[in-house]
Amino acid sequence: MSQAISRRSFLRGSGVALALPLLDAMRPAFGSEAVTTTPRRMVAIETNMGILPQFFFPETPGADYTLSPYLERLKAHRQNTTVFSGVSLPGVTGAHAAERCFLTGTPHPERGGFRNGVSLDQFAAELIGNQTRYPSLVLAMSNENPTLSFTRSGAPIPAEKSPMRLFQKLFVQGRPDEIEANVEALRQGRSLLDFVGEQSRRLSRSLSPADQRRMDQYLTSVRELEQRLHSAQEWEYRPKPTVDGKPPEDIQNAREFVQKTRQMFDVIKLALETDSSRIVSLFVDTTVIHNITHHGNRPEVLAELRGHEVGQFDALNDFLTSLSDTQEEGQSLLDRTMVLYGTCMGSANSHSNVNLPTLIAGGGFKHGQHLAFDRQNNYPLSNLYLSMLHRLGIEADGFSTATGTMRGLELV
Amino acid sequence: MKENQGNMSYRITDTCSIILCYIILHSSALSGAEPSVFFEKHCLDCHDGKTKEAGLDLTALKLDLSNPGNFSRWVKVHDRIESGEMPPKTEERPPTGDVVAVVKSLKESLVEAEHTRFQRDGRTGLRRLTRAEYENTVRDLFDMPGIALAGELPADGSAHGFDKNSDALDISHVNMAKYIEAADHALDYAIATRPTAPSVQKRRISLVNRGGFVAHVVMNGDGVLLKDKKPDPAFPPAGEHGHIDQGAHERMGSFETGSTVGLFRHEDESFSPYFIEHVTIYPGRYRVRLSLWSFHWDKGEVLPSRGTEAARLSVVQLTGDGRGGQHPSYVFGYYDAPSIESREHELVTWLNHNEIIGFNTASLAPVANYSRKGRAMAFTGPAIAVDWLDIEGPLHDAWPPNAHHVLFDDLPLAEFKTAENPGTRPPVRKHVRQLGAGMNRPDPSPGLWTVHSEQPLVDADRLLAGFLPGAFRRPVQAEVRQQYVARVEERLNAGDCFETAMRWAYRAALCSPDFLYHLEPVGDLDDFALANRISYFLWNTMPDARLTELAATGELRKPDVLGGAVERLLKDERSNRFVHDFLDQWLKLRDIAATDPDRKLYPEFSPYLQDSMVAETRAYFRELLDQDLDASHLVQSDFAMLNEKLAVHYGIPGVSGSQMRRVALPPGCSRGGFLTQAAILKVTANGTTTSPVPRGAFVMERIFGQTPDPPPPDIGSIEPDVRGATTIREQLDKHRSNAICASCHAKLDPPGFALEAFDVIGGFRTRYRSIGDGDPAERGSIDPFIGIEFKLGLPVDPRGELPDGRAFGNIDEFQTLIAADSERLLKNLAEQLAIYSTGRALAFSDRDEIEGIVKRTQQKDGGVRTLIHELTQSQLFRTR
Repeated sequence: MSQAISRRSFLRGSGVALALPLLDAMRPAFGSEAVTTTPRRMVAIETNMGILPQFFFPETPGADYTLSPYLERLKAHRQNTTVFSGVSLPGVTGAHAAERCFLTGTPHPERGGFRNGVSLDQFAAELIGNQTRYPSLVLAMSNENPTLSFTRSGAPIPAEKSPMRLFQKLFVQGRPDEIEANVEALRQGRSLLDFVGEQSRRLSRSLSPADQRRMDQYLTSVRELEQRLHSAQEWEYRPKPTVDGKPPEDIQNAREFVQKTRQMFDVIKLALETDSSRIVSLFVDTTVIHNITHHGNRPEVLAELRGHEVGQFDALNDFLTSLSDTQEEGQSLLDRTMVLYGTCMGSANSHSNVNLPTLIAGGGFKHGQHLAFDRQNNYPLSNLYLSMLHRLGIEADGFSTATGTMRGLELV
Repeated sequence: MKENQGNMSYRITDTCSIILCYIILHSSALSGAEPSVFFEKHCLDCHDGKTKEAGLDLTALKLDLSNPGNFSRWVKVHDRIESGEMPPKTEERPPTGDVVAVVKSLKESLVEAEHTRFQRDGRTGLRRLTRAEYENTVRDLFDMPGIALAGELPADGSAHGFDKNSDALDISHVNMAKYIEAADHALDYAIATRPTAPSVQKRRISLVNRGGFVAHVVMNGDGVLLKDKKPDPAFPPAGEHGHIDQGAHERMGSFETGSTVGLFRHEDESFSPYFIEHVTIYPGRYRVRLSLWSFHWDKGEVLPSRGTEAARLSVVQLTGDGRGGQHPSYVFGYYDAPSIESREHELVTWLNHNEIIGFNTASLAPVANYSRKGRAMAFTGPAIAVDWLDIEGPLHDAWPPNAHHVLFDDLPLAEFKTAENPGTRPPVRKHVRQLGAGMNRPDPSPGLWTVHSEQPLVDADRLLAGFLPGAFRRPVQAEVRQQYVARVEERLNAGDCFETAMRWAYRAALCSPDFLYHLEPVGDLDDFALANRISYFLWNTMPDARLTELAATGELRKPDVLGGAVERLLKDERSNRFVHDFLDQWLKLRDIAATDPDRKLYPEFSPYLQDSMVAETRAYFRELLDQDLDASHLVQSDFAMLNEKLAVHYGIPGVSGSQMRRVALPPGCSRGGFLTQAAILKVTANGTTTSPVPRGAFVMERIFGQTPDPPPPDIGSIEPDVRGATTIREQLDKHRSNAICASCHAKLDPPGFALEAFDVIGGFRTRYRSIGDGDPAERGSIDPFIGIEFKLGLPVDPRGELPDGRAFGNIDEFQTLIAADSERLLKNLAEQLAIYSTGRALAFSDRDEIEGIVKRTQQKDGGVRTLIHELTQSQLFRTR
């Protein structure tokens, strides 16, 4: 029970049920072998306006690389980080359009009939998400509505943008009558879904085969939501974890995106620590500085942009530090949490989608190196995603455009 | 190797093949026009298994037309031969007769294969409502014209340029969850919960009432309080010293004296004015009146202004913590503020819970005197004055409102008394908290009122018989209705009151596939499907009662009745939804705010200019539609739709005020037509620089209807540079010296070269703006209160040559060249409208139909309105 004890030292009050037993209804739909004893977690972060490559990539490969200006900000975690160069997502082109493919790797988002695929986090959440109250957290630091997460049918999942609301959702306990009302609402929702599912079956009988397939997508949506409501209903009776501290106050000013990102990181750390969810996607939308990413090589604009990006790396550094300072069963939270950080553009100035600045920290890999691949003929970043799935205990044969697991990145 | 007739192959092996022999054996008359022979003679030298020129190996390409990928490859083969592009000019020309015969034979196979598929599956894939269609449909179904729903639904995709295609309209559990929420929200708004209408409250609000933001900046010199068009003696302008603290002023009632507020300051990141005293409690229609004027402030004196200024009214949704976001939810419009003379504006609009009205001094430059030395008393410059804003509402013609009638007809409302209803759960009422600092107050609670039925099941059946066909937009079988009634009965037995039980059914109906999907029969559209199709095309919403009536009586399918219906829809205000939705996608106006122009390079850019740009393009299309003008107007015309802001931006004199109107262009002015409209020039630039490539691609794809091939992977792209040492053309010319690049760019770039004459915000230029090297720039039409940092760099070269060799020296010559080919422009518009209105990509077999539509339109002078009539009458439109 060391896990419970270590958490209790952090959690207020002792009447809190911590390690939740797995209810039958919450067992993953696919093979229970996916459930490992050590909780494995993943936080996948994309910043959408590029990262200035000249300040990111180290010059030499291997373990003895010299820290670049940006990696300098993360130097405390050097031994727990692998940085990549010469990687990109095969076929993912279209400049800004690529931002919605960072976790899906689906090629050619710029084309007319484009249809996105499932994102890394949702692929994992379907298989192992039922172990926690929230199968995954889909988050964005943005004033618009971007998301990194897409369902199996390629439909976007709207992201939570308010750290305050996220905090409330995770940690603020409902009153008994509210819980009862929630359960009743979930029950009503399920009966409604049952009914509309019937309606779609009726309609389907008179449809052509092609349209039946489309109507089937409706029925699948209905069933999936039904399962989710069922699972939510079970969780509704279980108390939420209590944490110290007040909900963060949301920041309205879009230009304070570094501060806003920090707030998100703080709540994500709490979510991981309380095991509210193990899978998180975070879209860091810095469209507010889109202009200066088209810096046209003006030195003063480059300097301004670099300042913003340094701020982002400092925030990431503090997040990694907070994870490595938190212990769970004698391991740091960072050792059990893969933190993927990257961008969809190798150069925002020219809208290039190759040579993506990317790194991964923590999570139980042999880190401390710069894995350098061919910058002319890039190595698939999707291979990293397959490695990450394996690390989560999901023995998938493939994912997206992956040709195998990431060469040179080994499990601890 | 087995071949059957249905899946015959043109497969030819290198050594005169088995199949070829097969064809020879089985063809009665074999000539050079026989596809296999034609290919052998003219194609296989390059397109065989060894050379595979352009990746095409005809010897391996099967004829398997039921496979979409294979089908599209054969379409390409057909097109290349038909256009004469293949065999290439360098090779021996096949006899013309052979080409015609091969093309004909290929075409027949393709058309036949396609028809087989369409007969089975229909052309338009089953599709759900788009977000916009969903919102409009709920609004019209319940007569709640402003309820906001679309923003909460997941974004739709886009396929073939539009979101109306089934490929763009996936559905997932996320959509389902959101549909349930949206249905609940709509029903909360629709169901009457009180015996009488909420009382109408009328309130006159000063922009500084209750203190707030505006009072704060006025105290610090960004505005003044006025009485009788002079500084208010009771509240002197801030001068060398600021005012005492705001709290003290508020306690003294300094901001409740009904003074006019004169503002010098435009909204910015730390200042967004609103009328904080009204925070909507009851959703509904409200009458808003506003009194505005403008003046020139000169260190304490009110003088006549430089002309008519413009102010913006918007709606701001207060968020959870009672503060508004920085961006308005949407803009009502821009209103003129004439010099010294107050002008009153009035509008009636729908407001939702917790919406307030925002304000901006739209036409002023971003100036802030805040705590600057001397404050208002040291400032000289333009100002906008707001006398007051009146708000009155909610306005209800009847009670219960129409939305309630749609659900419960005229069943009476009665107070729900728990004692009289043992074992029945009372209806649940959601409490909505009024946020912010509103002074309007909720009415006292009338108690728990709900709709009352003496014969619940009889009423349920009757009400659903009325509701379901409306919501589902077609007749509904009794059997389906009974399934709903059975659920109502179940809920009643489980202890729900009548309202709650009925609500269950309405909620289910709004989440059912019958509501969420366009259900059209395969083949010819029936009357109801046709009514739906023209309604979702021209109004982006469900058919109204008149249109449904025409469908029910079987009249609509008559060409003249259909024509009359189309005409009525186009004349109705709701057709603006079509104009907006279509242009948002066809001309990418949705992306208008995707980039904020660089503040140093384009300091004159403002939200007012951006909104004016969009308004221009919409008004222009509206004018083409209303006046039935021909397709050459897409690229060239002798008039433009302008307001003062745009006219100044374009350098056209004599336009005053914020409203769009038709303006005759001076000779030599190239602003007519979409290509030279600022909105188009902005969405095709990145905020900092322009490039002929994306602009050229836009023109090719959106105006000419030719989708350029994407660049080969990893071809290398151009690093934009605004230091002033090199131009984009010089960089591109290097790129074009590469032969691989040149072949495509010769087609792609020319329109972009011509458009280089316009900068990222659509301003005309002969030299690039630069931040580094260059000469001092003249101010031109830029507001004197805006500082200029940019310089004038290298000259623009707008010359170019079309792929057919015709050269142009500037944008005017370019416009004239392409306007001459009005058939191509008309054809593309016909295609775009067809894709948009039928929700599918155009098929190979649609080509003749499109040609027919274009021809018939041309015979009637080629107008855009005529085109819409011809399209809606066509078989292409009337078949699923």
